[in-house]
Amino acid sequence: MKVRLSPDRIEDVAVASATVEDVLLMLGINPIEVIVSRNGALIPEDTMVGGADELRVVRFVHGG
Amino acid sequence: MAGETGRCSCPGCTEPPIAVLRGSGERLCTRHFTASVECRVRETVEGGGMVRDGDIVAVGLSGGKDSTVLLHILSRILLDCPVRIVAVTVDEGIAGYRKETIRAARSIAAVLGVEHIVVSFEELCGRTLDALVGELPMHPCTICGVLRRRVLQTAAGNIGAARLATGHCLDDEAQSALMNVLNGDLGRIARTGIPDAGVLVPRIKPLRSIPEKEVTLYGIVQEIYTPLPECPYAGEALRSDVRGFLSTLEYRRAGTMTRLMAGYDRLRARVGGCAGAGRVSCPECGGPSTGGRCRVCELLGQAGRR
Repeated sequence: MKVRLSPDRIEDVAVASATVEDVLLMLGINPIEVIVSRNGALIPEDTMVGGADELRVVRFVHGG
Repeated sequence: MAGETGRCSCPGCTEPPIAVLRGSGERLCTRHFTASVECRVRETVEGGGMVRDGDIVAVGLSGGKDSTVLLHILSRILLDCPVRIVAVTVDEGIAGYRKETIRAARSIAAVLGVEHIVVSFEELCGRTLDALVGELPMHPCTICGVLRRRVLQTAAGNIGAARLATGHCLDDEAQSALMNVLNGDLGRIARTGIPDAGVLVPRIKPLRSIPEKEVTLYGIVQEIYTPLPECPYAGEALRSDVRGFLSTLEYRRAGTMTRLMAGYDRLRARVGGCAGAGRVSCPECGGPSTGGRCRVCELLGQAGRR
């Protein structure tokens, strides 16, 4: 499964099936601080993802 | 695809959810999530008696996500009320950053049909933030915070506003509360117990119960969220640490920020106006001061001497 963290950073995450929350935690991301879409559609953190899904993570928390 | 997202929690709704509300656990679709956020903001505005018929409401509009969402929601929930909304953008004078956010602010105000004015540090303080940063030893965020509050207040007063609305969300409020405690700043806690003391135009914070994540999500689903460049001066050390700490706690113990603010509000109500916590007028400019010269006159005086 591909996880796009920014325009120039894509991670390959090898899971057959996991929640969005689990995937974020695997990547060291606090689910409170991001919004996730799958194949272009917004999804909540308890959604099961995996396989050929493509996730996009929008991080909205910045410093300062 | 590994799994479906299920259905919205609202009775009879078959749409897929886009969010789980951390407080209630509700899983809401786009339409019901939008309605939920707007309903909670309306409750905050009405419950706090924030706006009255006939008011001019100045809305601080930086062009960032929080203030953009604030203006969008206020223009919706006050649509049928006899109030006039005026968006106010402050141009601090930050090269390579402000131009784009001012463009975004102009654009959203035009789309919403809201009157919009831009005021600058240069016209009200005689200097840009970039210039002041070179003249003063403190962190740029400290200088900017002091002057931006004054410029917004002055602009709101000049248009006859009865209220000045800012886009502070639950996360911002919880961070500020914890920072005041960590700094041992009892004076500030007591002063803000009387939020309108000494200010020209009382401030309101209609998004104060909405988590930043929901503010952002609202902006995305309303198609008004545009990622903008980060301020080059951003990075206030304590707020950054407090933000990370509170985010972690909120994730592990849902509702932490809401409980913190409920307790902090009770504390402020108890200590508000304690002896020595009031405000007086600055002998130089007449603006609010905690005693003697105000912070604005101090900063500008210090800059002029260097």
